[in-house]
Amino acid sequence: MVISSSTIFRVADVLALLVMPFLVVGVINRTKSLWSGRRGPPILQPLWDVLRLLRKRSVYSETTTPVFRVGPWGFLLTTVGSAAVTPILGAAPLVSFPFDFVWFAYVWALGRVAVMLAALDTGSSFEGMGAAREATFSTLLEPALFLAAGALSLGAGAGGHALADLLVPRLTAGDGSLMVWLGSVVTLFIVLQVESARMPVDDPTTHLELTMVHEVMILDHSGPDLAAIQTGAALKLTVAASVVATLLNPWAGTTAPRTAALNLGLTLVIAVVVGTIESLIARLKLRTVPKYIAVALASAALALLATGWRNGGTP
Amino acid sequence: MTTVLLAVPILLAGAALSLALRSNRAAAAVALTTQLAAMVLVAVGTAGLLAGRTAALELTWAWPLPLDHIPFRVDALSAFFLAWSLPMTLLGTVYAIGYLRPYFSKGRHGGPHFALLNLTALSFVLIYSTQNALAFLLGWEIAAVAAWLLVIWDYRQQKIRFAGFNYLVSTHVGLFVLVAAFMLLHAKTDSMDFAAFGAFLSRPSTTRGTLFLLLGVSFALKSAFFPFHTWLPRAHSAAPAHVSALMSGVIHKAGLFAFLRFTLLMGRPDEWMGWAVLAFGVLSAFFGVLYTATQRDLKRLLGYSSTENVGIAAIGFGVGSLGWVWNDPTLAACGFAGGMLHVFNHAVFKCLLFYAAGAVYRAAHTVDLERLGGLAKRMPRTASLFLVGALAISALPPLNGFVSEILVYFGLLRGAAPAAFANMAFVAAAAALAFVGAVSALSMTRAFGVAFLGSPRDATIHYPEDPPLTMWLPMALHALAAVAVGLAPELGIALVRAALQLFPVQAGVDAALAPLGAFVWAGRGLALVIAVAGLVRWRQGVRARRSPTWGCGYTAATARMQYTGSSFSEQLARLFEGVMPPLRREQLPTELFPQRPGHVATSHPDAVERRMFEVLGQGEEMVEDASRRVSEQPRFAFAAGLLALILIGAIVFGVARTW
Repeated sequence: MVISSSTIFRVADVLALLVMPFLVVGVINRTKSLWSGRRGPPILQPLWDVLRLLRKRSVYSETTTPVFRVGPWGFLLTTVGSAAVTPILGAAPLVSFPFDFVWFAYVWALGRVAVMLAALDTGSSFEGMGAAREATFSTLLEPALFLAAGALSLGAGAGGHALADLLVPRLTAGDGSLMVWLGSVVTLFIVLQVESARMPVDDPTTHLELTMVHEVMILDHSGPDLAAIQTGAALKLTVAASVVATLLNPWAGTTAPRTAALNLGLTLVIAVVVGTIESLIARLKLRTVPKYIAVALASAALALLATGWRNGGTP
Repeated sequence: MTTVLLAVPILLAGAALSLALRSNRAAAAVALTTQLAAMVLVAVGTAGLLAGRTAALELTWAWPLPLDHIPFRVDALSAFFLAWSLPMTLLGTVYAIGYLRPYFSKGRHGGPHFALLNLTALSFVLIYSTQNALAFLLGWEIAAVAAWLLVIWDYRQQKIRFAGFNYLVSTHVGLFVLVAAFMLLHAKTDSMDFAAFGAFLSRPSTTRGTLFLLLGVSFALKSAFFPFHTWLPRAHSAAPAHVSALMSGVIHKAGLFAFLRFTLLMGRPDEWMGWAVLAFGVLSAFFGVLYTATQRDLKRLLGYSSTENVGIAAIGFGVGSLGWVWNDPTLAACGFAGGMLHVFNHAVFKCLLFYAAGAVYRAAHTVDLERLGGLAKRMPRTASLFLVGALAISALPPLNGFVSEILVYFGLLRGAAPAAFANMAFVAAAAALAFVGAVSALSMTRAFGVAFLGSPRDATIHYPEDPPLTMWLPMALHALAAVAVGLAPELGIALVRAALQLFPVQAGVDAALAPLGAFVWAGRGLALVIAVAGLVRWRQGVRARRSPTWGCGYTAATARMQYTGSSFSEQLARLFEGVMPPLRREQLPTELFPQRPGHVATSHPDAVERRMFEVLGQGEEMVEDASRRVSEQPRFAFAAGLLALILIGAIVFGVARTW
């Protein structure tokens, strides 16, 4: 029996999905520790945290309804839904179908709504605040995501493309494809920072509830529910990092071992970059965050305009 | 065809009988029976059309002057609109029985109301089947006037009378434009038949563009597109819930029907027409959704969301028209299928949401988000149904709104336009649609989260329990439809497939729908795992430990401290201050030791309406100014008198000449 390389890739993909989220968060934490002169917790500490939470019981607020109990799992499962179409290893995602990037964006939206509703369910003003911020940022981020995806899609030619296909870097000299690629990379990196609640948009380790975005929405979750949210958030971060990594990976799209190795390496490099940015830069004022997201919008728009250059204004 | 038209006398008889009957119960029974009969007749008559077995039903009715004859023609497009309009009106009537019960128990006669609901159903049969401009206008007018009378059910309140009058005026402005278009067409064709109109419209001429604009404006006013939407939020917040639901979900779809009907009559559109529809749709969706995010009144919020959703449908139609222009059957199929399915989907979830809002109103006597809260515990049934509607309207998988939007995305993101510029514009439109989806998710999360979750904000509101069966059954059926079309889009596609074949889509339909299959399976899988996980956690949670919400160290938190609807959308509103100027009323404390408490109130009144009233106010001022001058300054009085004399003289002279 011959096992095709894409089957092996898919199996490896599942394994990567199980390990990478905790590894990526661990690497970010280690980077931050090193920058601040500490040794830091073990790399896999996020995994131990989740396992510890799973052994605990959840406590629910008296105000809450079943929405609160379902929310975290909705978030985790939708994130798995987006991970399934993402080429974690640079090629051959678990499932891939035309226009699956629209699916990707919309399951993210569903997960976001699940967490926001669970937050509002507690009746806590802080959690409402976090939900409002998350919702507002997402309204600017979604168009940026679609502009970038659309630009990449036009760059890849007519037809319905899958996410894995879009993310294959297509660079030829002198036709604007560099601009398309660069614009998309910038946009998707900012998408990563905003959606995964990292600096300079959100400070995951701040101590003041008033300034939080993601963390404040999950204040009331505990035990397995909190574990689901933490896992979901780590997975989302990994998925977003893999998207950028695939776009940076020159071998993306081929099911060779080196593609997978490079992609995982790049994902970890991105984790280091995220951790470094987090160590060196202060969080933006909440008022300025939309401007930062506007950078993503602008670079995606530039990428889109560059597709016209690429085609020379004609089909 | 006779079976379909038989519905007309039945509905008329039902209306007359419910007017005559003294008992509300009997009037309701008559209305329900006749509507059910009409629905069955129409369903039987159009089943073959929907299945694509028959081409069209035709019948010409000889009629005395001035009409001469009325041609009726029911094709797949009419069948599609009839297929859900009549059942939804029936469900609205069922809902009305429960919703109006408090009025009935106070001795109010409901006969006229039920008669008007029958007339609404009648107007659908007329509008969707007639091929004569005058009969069409008759149906159009019946729908408009019936809707007006339905809106002012609570006519004793001045606010409601004003909202009704506002609607009546706006809808007639639209009617004038439509009449102008029909007169122009009559002048060119010397006929009132759509067939003759079609023959003229399909030939290239300069009048074609003018007519397209006139018809477009009229239909846009009917369907409440931005910037012709100003009457809509007022009317929807004033009307009884089922009337808002029917107006928003069903009655105003006549505008979109008429647009599609005339697109078919016109034949292949010009390229600018496709772009105009697309741009208009994006504009409408963008502004509509922004206003949903800032409304305090739940029904106003839903009203604005109609503007948004017809915009999304128009994006689909624009894409479809451009596909037609570019001879790209797949693109045309994506656009028209997405647009038409969205029209149906919107009717499904918008009625559901309005019914749920009505249930809230019945229970709490207010739909002000800032006063509600914690309803999910007191009205669990309404809450869960509203949640289904909210998720569907935010186009989230795996519900029906997602299916129609995704078809539009297929069209926009295929990158198959013949020019690079067009492709870029399509991607930009897709990004706009994504923005609309995200803001819609925000405002629906806000509406559901603030009204149904958390704790009650206003202790003076006493909530009873869930609404009676007559009210929640229509909701449940609508929710069922939203879930069914979401999980099995074949059901929705089956409704539009035959109508789609009227457009030049040929084999494009299957190519357009091909990518949908994977989405459907992905959606089903996701729905299944979330349902299982949710059920498991739900059961585990029943016995879980309970404690108060963590107050971040503050121990005296009260329900008034919860995040409110206004605060939830504050950041977004600030971002879009430029296009959505807030109105701030404040009275700040003045002295060092203020004697009186200060207050601040912000709201986001409709910018278009405000500007309209400003302009009207300026006009009034000008007239006032002129009239004052006339009396103050003899020169002006003399000039005005002279002008009047000349005019009268000219008219007399002209009349004398014609003799």
